Amino acid sequence: MTSSDGVRASLKRLARVGHVVWIVLVYVVLLAPIAVLILASFDDGSFFRFPPQHFSWRWYQAAASSREYRSALGTSSLVALLSAAIAVTSGSLAAYTLVRHQPRGAKIIEAILLAPLVLPLIVWSIALLQIYSVLGLSGTLTGLVLAHTVITLPYAVRIMHATFERIDPTLEAAAVSLGARPFDVARRVIIPLALPGLLTSTAFAVLVSFNDVIVSALIAGGRWMTFPVRVYSQLRGQGVDPITLAIGAGITAIIVVAAVAGELTMKWSRQV
Amino acid sequence: MPLPVFLLLPALILSAGVFLAPFLWLASTSFRTQAAGSLLLAEGVSLDNYIRLFADPYFVEVLIRTLAYSLATTLASVLIALPVARFIAVRAGRLKGFLLALMLVPLVSGALLPSLGMLHLMGPLGVVNGIARMLGLPPVKLLGTSAGILIGLVQSFLPLMVLPLVNTLSRLPSDLEQAAASLGAPAIAIWRRVILPLAMPGLVAGSVLVFCASFTSFVTPQILGQGHIAMFGTVAYQQAGQVLDWPFASALAVVALAMIGLLQAVVTLASRFVRRREIRQ
Repeated sequence: MTSSDGVRASLKRLARVGHVVWIVLVYVVLLAPIAVLILASFDDGSFFRFPPQHFSWRWYQAAASSREYRSALGTSSLVALLSAAIAVTSGSLAAYTLVRHQPRGAKIIEAILLAPLVLPLIVWSIALLQIYSVLGLSGTLTGLVLAHTVITLPYAVRIMHATFERIDPTLEAAAVSLGARPFDVARRVIIPLALPGLLTSTAFAVLVSFNDVIVSALIAGGRWMTFPVRVYSQLRGQGVDPITLAIGAGITAIIVVAAVAGELTMKWSRQV
Repeated sequence: MPLPVFLLLPALILSAGVFLAPFLWLASTSFRTQAAGSLLLAEGVSLDNYIRLFADPYFVEVLIRTLAYSLATTLASVLIALPVARFIAVRAGRLKGFLLALMLVPLVSGALLPSLGMLHLMGPLGVVNGIARMLGLPPVKLLGTSAGILIGLVQSFLPLMVLPLVNTLSRLPSDLEQAAASLGAPAIAIWRRVILPLAMPGLVAGSVLVFCASFTSFVTPQILGQGHIAMFGTVAYQQAGQVLDWPFASALAVVALAMIGLLQAVVTLASRFVRRREIRQ
């Protein structure tokens, strides 16, 4: 009996060690592309090869002085901020109404608002491309912001819906009964309580907009070209430009820090 | 107009008008054709695009390949994610937040930048082949192969499987397992009879997410396939953005949408059937 117990115990220990090894392996593969991106961006050569040759800041310096990429980053930031602002504002208003007033057909309205999470964006952008060309919106800033607002809106709606559901409605009722006007209730009670949700949904909206390739690749023109589209067309045309590695590594580093901070302070993983 | 309805309007106009309405446009243009040498639509309604699509072995093959790759990615994600989600949910302790945060990274860093990293990981002079060379092993061809695309898809979309699974597995009462174990159930039986059935909702949600994301992905197959392996996303982009045959691209998109919808319906019905049978037992 004791020897079979001993075998079972050591098998159990082996399984536990194997489990940890598996986790480490999965995380290594999961994060490897980003690690390699950052590694490659510091390589001196104009074509990265492993093992890396010489450490240098060369491509970061080149990135800082590249007008082409600066303008693409500018467009991306402008589009991300504008569309996030519109999406979070309209998404919050809609989510608040759905949670507090529970209008008739709330379930259907919610499904419509969350549709961009379910239906494939590549299919939608093929349709949008055609409609934009009829309306003359192809390649315009308006068209780009409108499209990005639509793809970021469901994140804002979902995150704000969950946020408002966690806020006790009696707090608002108390403020009203103490004579606060609706505007003051919003400014003094609702917005401060909803702040983590507002920050999370803004961050998600900015990220979704900033990362988008397919929608922008089909509807953006030369005048307003976002950074990912610029990188993508460069990649298809001339291959990897080390400058894009430097900028990409910088952006990814910011995103990793944001993701860790967002998860530890606001539980971002529940929003996926 | 009462206030609540008014507050819903901006978001509803954006979602229904700008997002949903174009799908109707797509369905209608898929039955039209272009006048020769022009972007304008020719007169008349026909099934020409669909006939062309299904008569051409190239497009049929692309759709079947996309389906096969997406199913393979989903299956691989399930197998890889289960132990990972289980670890994060049950054993990670104080590391839980940190592991979840790292799991978010591939999701929030988009498709393009990680693909740039993948390119340098898999390329002929990249990290994998560099290590192989140092060890005296023969070079591995990953870029431009189906293995490369599949690795890229699993890497990008694994978190879509892990995160819903962590959510369901975290909610499982741990005394249920202890009860099973104390009654002498072996580990495999605990997995099969207790953990997996209760994890089913997360498994279904994750599978649908990974399948849809893989089926409609564009950047990963384009960059890692190096133009040698066509998938739905790359061909749809080609037809819509380069060939500029919009009615045909619409038909292709409608067929893809139907395939995804059909598969989702089957999965949902099947999981409902399985659950009902379990309750009866």
